[in-house]
Amino acid sequence: MKLTLHHAYQSRSQRVLWLLYELGVEFELIQHNFFDKSLRSEDYLAISPAGRVPALEIDGEAMLESGAMVDYLCECFPAAGLGRAVGDPERRLFLDLLHYAETIGQHCANLTQSHLVLYEDWMRSPTQMGLEAKRLFVTLKRLDAMLSDGREFLLPTGFSGVDCAVAYGAVIGQKFTDISGLAHLQAYLTRISNRPAFIKSWEKPKGVPAIYTKDFYEVPNVEKD
Amino acid sequence: MSQVILHHVPLSRSFRILWLLEEMGITYDLKTYSIRDGSLRAPAFLEISPSGRVPALEIDGMTQFESAAIIEYLCESRDGFCVGETAQERLRFREWMGFAETQGSILTTLNLQHLFIRPPAKVSADVLKVETARLKKTLAMMEEALTERDYLLGAFSAVDCMFGWNLRAAPFYVDLAEFKALEAYLDRIHARPAYLRAVANDGDQDFYEKPFYAAKDVT
Repeated sequence: MKLTLHHAYQSRSQRVLWLLYELGVEFELIQHNFFDKSLRSEDYLAISPAGRVPALEIDGEAMLESGAMVDYLCECFPAAGLGRAVGDPERRLFLDLLHYAETIGQHCANLTQSHLVLYEDWMRSPTQMGLEAKRLFVTLKRLDAMLSDGREFLLPTGFSGVDCAVAYGAVIGQKFTDISGLAHLQAYLTRISNRPAFIKSWEKPKGVPAIYTKDFYEVPNVEKD
Repeated sequence: MSQVILHHVPLSRSFRILWLLEEMGITYDLKTYSIRDGSLRAPAFLEISPSGRVPALEIDGMTQFESAAIIEYLCESRDGFCVGETAQERLRFREWMGFAETQGSILTTLNLQHLFIRPPAKVSADVLKVETARLKKTLAMMEEALTERDYLLGAFSAVDCMFGWNLRAAPFYVDLAEFKALEAYLDRIHARPAYLRAVANDGDQDFYEKPFYAAKDVT
């Protein structure tokens, strides 16, 4: 199986890059600049019609949607033990968390748009940004509660593909909402960030700008009624 | 088999599950909530769904969250609908499930801004413009797929149910008339008895106040 991952540093494709390193499989990595026109080029649009990353070429055929890739890759490489197959007692939690990753990710994406893409204050809605930050916090609080029973990773039996999917939302989410009160989540983030595959996947590539340049993005003041 | 209970808000993501339950012929109890009256924040509901979100499906001795996860679990645990026989079929199934949420997140953002941020709080005209254009793009991608086949994966599947909510919400923001294949697809969907039963059981939504919200109406 020949795999080619189209990736932009700090975007959702981090999930798949990290997973590929965890799986220990061979693949080709194509780094895109999130901000320039390469994601809008005809060649790339033929792979990903909306110009989004990640895109995964599997033997020359394109696959989209990072969550789908995580489930699919875990299934393709069962020896790594990162999936939970149908019938596994953790299958239901695996599915829940796989999709919960996107529930968290959507808040991150909306906040990224407001803070970083809409660069002028008058373009933004501070009310929307405040609501998104609050909702994001609620989604992260659920992770903190799950982790409070002492489990090391999100599934009680150990590290899995859903950690790759979900943790991205916490890594980026902490730039938009204060998680200093979520001690279990913070300890979890420390654990995952010590994994060699995680470290390798988050090394900043040369010649490609970062999407996020600040540690924290404060919601602008909401005008009072 | 234990009782199946769907926690539901009319015209929300839980419609996806309502429709699939009807398609699969699973008997269920429906508990309907309103997004406006605080019932999703009531302690009794938070015991069931800690994030206060629908859908939540009580089934086989556990509560399942996340509409896509519920759909995949129903397909995996019961006969009739499946995620795919081959790895290639499962790949496409999961890709469309993911894409439904790429589109769903756009609808959620439009709902939030058009329906739930009230003056004097300010919405962002730029967000509405960008998100409406993105919604159109996702509909065009569906249009392209549906010019080649009757349903999203060829034959009718649970993926179509996943888009059941999307395609009821999208016409509030984008005129579907330019998407001919999509409209023909909707005619096929609307002729399905299970879809009609799901719509009849859905209940009255209480957030859209008019049939169409144009991005340019917002300043």
